[in-house]
Amino acid sequence: MNTLPVLSIVALTPLAAAILIGAFGRGTQLPRVLALVAATICLAGSAWVWATYDRAAGGVQFVESVRWIPSLGISYIVGVDGISVPMLALMALVMFTGVLVSWNVDERPRLFFALLLLLVTGVFGVFVSVDAFLLFFFYEMAVVPMYLLIAIWGSTHKDYAAMKLTLFLFAGSALITIALALVYWQVGASTFDLRIWAGANFPPGFQRWVFLLMFVGFGTLVPIWPLHTWSPDGHVAAPTAVSMMHAGVLLKIGAYGVLRLGMTLFPEGLRDWALLIAIIGAINVVYGALCAMNQTDLKYVIGYSSVSHMGYVLLGFAMIDKFGLQGAVFQMFAHGIMTALFFALIGYVYEKSHTRQIADISGLMSRTPLVAAAFVIASAASMGLPSTSGFVAELLVYVGIIGRSPLLAAIAFVGVVVTAAYLIRMLGKILLGEPSQAVERIVDPSPVRLAPMGILAITIMTVGIFPATMYQTINAGIEPLLTKLMGG
Amino acid sequence: MADPTVALTFLAPEIIVALTGALVLVIDLIWIRSTDAPNTPRPWLAYLSIAGLGLAAGAVIGLAGVQTTLFEGIVILDPLSTFFKLLFLAIGMIVLLISVDPLPGFSKWSAEFFALIVWCTLGNMLLASAAELFTIFLCLQLTSLPLIVLIGYAKRDPLSSEASLKYLLLVLVSTAVLLYGMTLVYGALGTSTISEIGKVLAEQRLTPVLALGLVLLLTGFGFKITAVPFQYWVPDVYEGAPSPVTAFLSVGSKFAGFALALRIIVTGLDIPLNWHLIFGVMAALSMTLGNLGALRQTNIKRMLAYSGIAQAGYLLVGLAALSEMGIASLLFYTAAYGFANLLAFTAVIVFANATGSYEISDYAGLARRAPLASFALTVALLSLGGLPLLAGFMAKFYVFLFAAQAGLIWLVAVGVVNSVIALYYYLRVIWQLYVPEGSLDPISVAPRAGLAMSVCAVGVFAIGVFPEPVLRASQMAASALFGG
Amino acid sequence: MAMGTVLAWTILLPLVGGVAIALIPQSGSKFARPVALLVTGVVLAMATWLWISFNPADPGMQFEIVRDWVPGLGTAFHLGVDGLSLPMLFLTAFLSLLAVIASARISEFTREYFTLILLLEAGLIGVFIALDLILFYVFWEVVLIPMFFLINIWGGPRRRYAAIKFFLYTLAGSLAMLGGIISLFLATGAQTFDMIALAPQAARLSLAAQTAIFTAIAFALAIKVPMVPLHTWLPDAHVEAPTAVSVLLAGVLLKMGSYGFLRFGPQLLPDGFERLVPLIALLGVVSIVYGAACALVQTDLKKLIAYSSVSHMGYVMLGIAAGTAAGVLGASVQMFSHGLIAGMAFLLVGAYYERAHTREISAFGGTARVAPILAGTLVFMSFASLGLPGMSGFIGEFMVVTGSFGPFTTYSAIAAFAVVLTAGYLLWMLRRVVFGQLNEARADMPDMTRTEAAAIFPLCIATLCIGVFPQVLVGVMEASVESVAKILGA
Repeated sequence: MNTLPVLSIVALTPLAAAILIGAFGRGTQLPRVLALVAATICLAGSAWVWATYDRAAGGVQFVESVRWIPSLGISYIVGVDGISVPMLALMALVMFTGVLVSWNVDERPRLFFALLLLLVTGVFGVFVSVDAFLLFFFYEMAVVPMYLLIAIWGSTHKDYAAMKLTLFLFAGSALITIALALVYWQVGASTFDLRIWAGANFPPGFQRWVFLLMFVGFGTLVPIWPLHTWSPDGHVAAPTAVSMMHAGVLLKIGAYGVLRLGMTLFPEGLRDWALLIAIIGAINVVYGALCAMNQTDLKYVIGYSSVSHMGYVLLGFAMIDKFGLQGAVFQMFAHGIMTALFFALIGYVYEKSHTRQIADISGLMSRTPLVAAAFVIASAASMGLPSTSGFVAELLVYVGIIGRSPLLAAIAFVGVVVTAAYLIRMLGKILLGEPSQAVERIVDPSPVRLAPMGILAITIMTVGIFPATMYQTINAGIEPLLTKLMGG
Repeated sequence: MADPTVALTFLAPEIIVALTGALVLVIDLIWIRSTDAPNTPRPWLAYLSIAGLGLAAGAVIGLAGVQTTLFEGIVILDPLSTFFKLLFLAIGMIVLLISVDPLPGFSKWSAEFFALIVWCTLGNMLLASAAELFTIFLCLQLTSLPLIVLIGYAKRDPLSSEASLKYLLLVLVSTAVLLYGMTLVYGALGTSTISEIGKVLAEQRLTPVLALGLVLLLTGFGFKITAVPFQYWVPDVYEGAPSPVTAFLSVGSKFAGFALALRIIVTGLDIPLNWHLIFGVMAALSMTLGNLGALRQTNIKRMLAYSGIAQAGYLLVGLAALSEMGIASLLFYTAAYGFANLLAFTAVIVFANATGSYEISDYAGLARRAPLASFALTVALLSLGGLPLLAGFMAKFYVFLFAAQAGLIWLVAVGVVNSVIALYYYLRVIWQLYVPEGSLDPISVAPRAGLAMSVCAVGVFAIGVFPEPVLRASQMAASALFGG
Repeated sequence: MAMGTVLAWTILLPLVGGVAIALIPQSGSKFARPVALLVTGVVLAMATWLWISFNPADPGMQFEIVRDWVPGLGTAFHLGVDGLSLPMLFLTAFLSLLAVIASARISEFTREYFTLILLLEAGLIGVFIALDLILFYVFWEVVLIPMFFLINIWGGPRRRYAAIKFFLYTLAGSLAMLGGIISLFLATGAQTFDMIALAPQAARLSLAAQTAIFTAIAFALAIKVPMVPLHTWLPDAHVEAPTAVSVLLAGVLLKMGSYGFLRFGPQLLPDGFERLVPLIALLGVVSIVYGAACALVQTDLKKLIAYSSVSHMGYVMLGIAAGTAAGVLGASVQMFSHGLIAGMAFLLVGAYYERAHTREISAFGGTARVAPILAGTLVFMSFASLGLPGMSGFIGEFMVVTGSFGPFTTYSAIAAFAVVLTAGYLLWMLRRVVFGQLNEARADMPDMTRTEAAAIFPLCIATLCIGVFPQVLVGVMEASVESVAKILGA
C-alpha cells in the first residue's frame, strides 16, 4: 500500500492554503496564486486516487485513521470507495476551474479565495470521510463560507438568497444531527465509523424514521421538491465560481449523504419510502423543467434545470436496482461537470455584457465561437444527448426506471422533451442571429478563462465517449450497497 | 479532616485570590498618597490582579488530584470544583485584561474595579466548592454585592445606574426567596449539608413544605442562570452595565449558578420528580424565547443578552439529560461558551471604543476597518451558532448527543431548530461587518484587547478542533459528581 | 489493415476532421472546405474499398469490430456491415462529398459549417454500421445536433421555427426509441445490447412484448422516414435548410428510418413487426398518395420536392411491409436510388434558387432557353424520379410494386397508379419551370457552373449506372435481403 496520506492532502491542502491566504495574502496576486497551487495539488491528488484506486478489489481504500476524540469514539478516518472517487474527481475539477474562473476577482481577493478554499475543504472532507461525525463536521464547515461568498460577491438579491440558502442548509443539518445521535446510540458501539455502522442491523421501525430524517435532511441540499426554493435563488445570486461549486458539487453532497448515511445504513427504510422518493424525483424532473422553461434569466434557467436533473438522481435511488443506482451516481458526476461548465460560461457572458437576460443576448456564435461551442456541449450533456456524459447517466437511470415502472419512465421522458425544448430555445436565441448590443464587446476569452471551459467540455465528452472507467469505478462502489439492498 | 491548617492548604487558591484583591486596593491607596498625579491610569494594577489570579490557577492545578471535604462537609474539593474554579479564574483574567482600557465616557478604571472583579471571582470559586446551604448563601452574597457596584460603575450613565438598581432589586428578591427556601428545607429535613439532604430525602416522602422549599431554592438559582422564567432582568442589566461587567455577568455568574445547581440537584435532590421534563421544558422555553427575543434586537449588547438566555437553554439540555455524560456535556458547553462569549464581548468593546456605538447598524463595513477584530467577532458568533472548527459545534453536538441518549428526542429537535433561528441573527451581524460599504478609517486595536481576543480565539479553535482534553476534564468532573 | 478498422475509421475520420476544422484559426477559414473535401473524399474511398472487399455471398455481418464501452451494461462499440447497410454507408459517403462540393458558396462561419457537416456524416455512417443498440441510438441522436444548427444558422427566413420543430419531433421519437431499446434489453434479460447476440432472445419474446416494444421503436423510425401523419416537420425543415443540408436530409437522413425498420423489424422483433405490418403498409400507401397529392399543389419548388420525398419513401415502406424478397429488395434499392435522386433534386432546386432568389414556381418559365444544361438536368432528374426505365428509380419502384402485389394487392395497385400522380406533378412542374414562356426576370439566368456540375453529374451518372446495371447494387444486397425475407416468410 502507498504510505502517502493522499486523501488528507487533498482534503486539508485547501484549508492550509486558506489559512495562509488569510494570514499573508496581501495584494491580488498572492491569493490567487496560492489558490491555484492548492487546486493543482488537489487535482493531482485526486487524479492519483482515480488512477490507482483498485476497481477490481472495490471497497474502501486509501484509508487513514487517527484517533481524534476517543472518549466519544470519534476518529479521523478518511478513505474512498467507488462512489466517492468520482465525486473527488468532480470536486477537484470544479475547484481547479473555479479558481481559474475567479482569476480576475478584484474585490477583496484575499477574503474571496480564503473563503473559497474553506468551502472546498468542507466539500472534499465530506467525500472522503468514513466517520459519520467527520462527514457531518465537514458538511457544516462548507455552509458559512458559502454564505459570505454569496453575500459579498453575489449579484441579484444576494442578501436574501444567501440567508435563505444558509438557513435551509442549516435546517437540513438540524435533522441530520438528530439522526446521527439516534444512530449512534442505536449502534451502541461508541463509534461513528461508517463501516461499523453499515454492518449493524437496525430494527425496521427505526430504519423507517431515521431514514426519513436523513433523506429530508440531506434532501434539502439535493434539493428535493418542495424544499428546493433556496437553490435557484442561490445559484443566481452567487458569484461564478461559487455557482459552479454550488450547483456542481454542493448539490451532490446532498445526494451523497442520502446514499451514504441513508441508503447504505437503512436499506429497509429506503424500501419503505422508495415510492415517495420516486414521486418526489419525478416531480423534481418535470416541475424543474417546466420552471426552467419560464425563466428569462440564464442563471435561473440553469438553476431550475439543476432541480430537474437532480430528480433523475432521486429516481435512480428509488429504483433500488443496479442500473438505477449506477445511473444516479453517474448523473451526480455528469451533472456536476455540465452545470459547472454552464455557470462558467454564463459567468463569462455576464462579466462582459452585464446582462443575463436571454432577451438581451443573441449572436454569441459570431462573436465568440468557442464559448458558443462550449454552450452547445453543455446543453447536449444537459439534454442527455449521446457522446456526452449526461447520456450515459440518463441511459442508466432509464434502464433502471423502465424495468420498474413504465409510467415513471414516461413522466421522465416528458421531462427530457421539456428540457430539450427550453435548452434548444435558449441556445437558438443566444447563440444565433445578429449580435445584440449587449454582446458587442464579447470576444473569445483569454487563455485563463478559456482553460476552465475547455477542461470541463473535454471532460464531458471524454466521459461520454469512454465511460468504461467511470462505470467500473462506480460499480465497484455500489456493489456492496446493492448486495445489501437486494439481500436484506 | 481534622487539621485546620491542612484544610487551609486546600483552600490556598481562594486565599490567594482574596489576598490579591486586598493587595490591589492597598497598593492603590499607597500610590495615591505618594504621587502627584492620582488620576493617571494604572494598568499595572490590573496586571497585578491577573498575576494573582494566575497564581491561584496554578494552585488549583496543583491541588487537582485532591478529592475531599473540609470543615465537616461544608466545602468540597473534587474534579467538578476544580473544573469550575479554573474556568472562573480564566474568565476573571480575561475580563481584567479587557477592563484595562477605559471605555469612552470613563477617564479611568480605578483599583476598586479590579478588586471587585477579583472578589467576584472569589465568590464564584467558593460557590463551586460550597456543599452546604448556608455557605452557599454567603458565597452568593459575596458575588452579588460586588456585582451591584460594578454594574453601576458608570455613574454618569443613567442606563448603568438603572441597571444597577434593577440588579440590586433582583438580588434582594432572589436572596429572600433563596433564604426562605433554605429555611424550609432545613426545617423539613434537619440538615443543611447537601450530601446529607440527599440521604434523608432518599428515605422520606415529599411533603408540601419540603416541596415549596425546593421550588424556592431552585427559583433562587434560576435567576442566576438566566433561564426562562427567570430571565426578565437580563436584557436591561446587560445593556446598562459597563461592557466588561456584562461580559463577566454573562459567563461568570451564569456558570456559578450552574455549578451550584449541579451539585444540589445531582447529589441532593434524589427524589422521584420528572427532572427530565422540568429542565427539558425550561431548556426549551429558554432557547426559544431567547432566540426569538434576539431576533428583534438592534443593539448588540441586548442581542447578546437574549442569546445568553438561549445559551442557558442549551446548557439546561445537558442538565435535563441528568446522566453523567449529560452533565459532562454541560460542563464542556460552559467552557466552549465561555471563550466564545468573552471573545464576542471583547470585539464589541473594541468596536465601541472606536465608534462609540452598540447599534448593529453601525457595524456596517467594519471588516475593512478592523479586519482582525471583525474576524474575532465572526468566529465568536459562529461558535455561538454552532459551526464546525469552532468550540460551539462540538459543544452543541455533545449536548444533543447525550440528550438523545436520555431519550429526549423532542428536546433535541427543539434545540436544533433553535440553532437555525440563532444562526439567522448571528449571520445578520456578520453580514453587517462584511458586506455594506462604510468608512475606511482603520481602527486600531489596543494590544491588551488584541491579546484577550487571541487567547479566546485560540481557546475557541482549540476546543473546536481538539476537544478531547476539555472533554476528558468535564467527564472526570461529572463522574466525580455521580460517583463520589 | 483489418477491414474492421477501416470501418471504424469511416466514423472516426469525419469526427477527427471535423474537430480539426473547428480548430483552424479564423484567418485560415478558407482552408475549411478543402480539408472537408479531403476528408469526405477519403471516406468515400474507404467506402469503395469496403464495397469491393465485401463478400456478396455472405448474408451475415462482415468486417466486424468490437471494443468495450460500458461493460456492465452490456453495451460495446460494435460495428459491422451487411448487404443492407453497406449501400447506405456508401450512399452517405458519396452524398457527403457532393454536399461539400456544393457548399462552395457558404461564406459565413465557414469553419463551423464544415465541422457540422463532417459531424453529421460521422453520425449518419454510425447509424448504418452500429451493431449495438445503444451505439445505434447514440449515432441516431448525434445526427440531431449538427442538423439542428445547420438548419438554424444557414437556413432560410423561418429557420428557427423549422429547426426547433425538427429537433423536438425527432427527439420525441428518439425517446420512444430509447424506451423501446431499454425495454427490449430488460425483457430479454440478456444483459447485452448487442443486436446480433440479442436477436435470438428477442425473437422468443411474447407477441405482446414484441408488439409493445416494436411500436415504441417504430414511432421513432416513422418520424424519421417520415410516414404520414408524422411527416409535418419535413417540408418545413427542407424548405429552410441550405441546399447541401437538404441533400443530406433527403438523401440520407430519411433512410435512417427505413433502415431502422429493416434492422429492428425482421431481425430483432419479427412477431411485433408482423403485427404492425398492416398499419405500416397502409401508412406507406397513404404516404405515397398523400405526398404526391400535396406535391401537386405546391407553388414552392423546394416544398414540391419535399413532398415528393414523402411519397417516394412511402414505396420503401410498402416494400418493407410486404416482406417478400422482391419487396424488401425493392425497398432497399429504392432507398439508395431515392438518395441519389433526391440529392440531385435539391441541388438543382438550390441552383435555381441561387439564380432567382426565389423558389416560387411561377417565378420561372422557359429556363431551358437561357440555361439549357441546368434545365436539361432538371428534366433528367424528373424522369429518374418518376421511375423511367433505365434509371434507378424504375428498378426500385417496380420491384416494390411487384413484391407487394402478393400480400397487399390493393395497395400495390394503388401504388402503381400513384406513379401517374408523380408523373403529373413532375411534368407540370417541368412545364412551368423549364418550358413555356420565358419569364423576363430570368432572361439573363446563367447556366450551370462547374462546381454545380461537379456536384450534380456524379449523381446523374450513378442513377444511370444503377438503372442499366442494377446487378452492381442488387448483387451486394441480395444475400442479406434473402435472409430477411426468409425470416418473414417463415
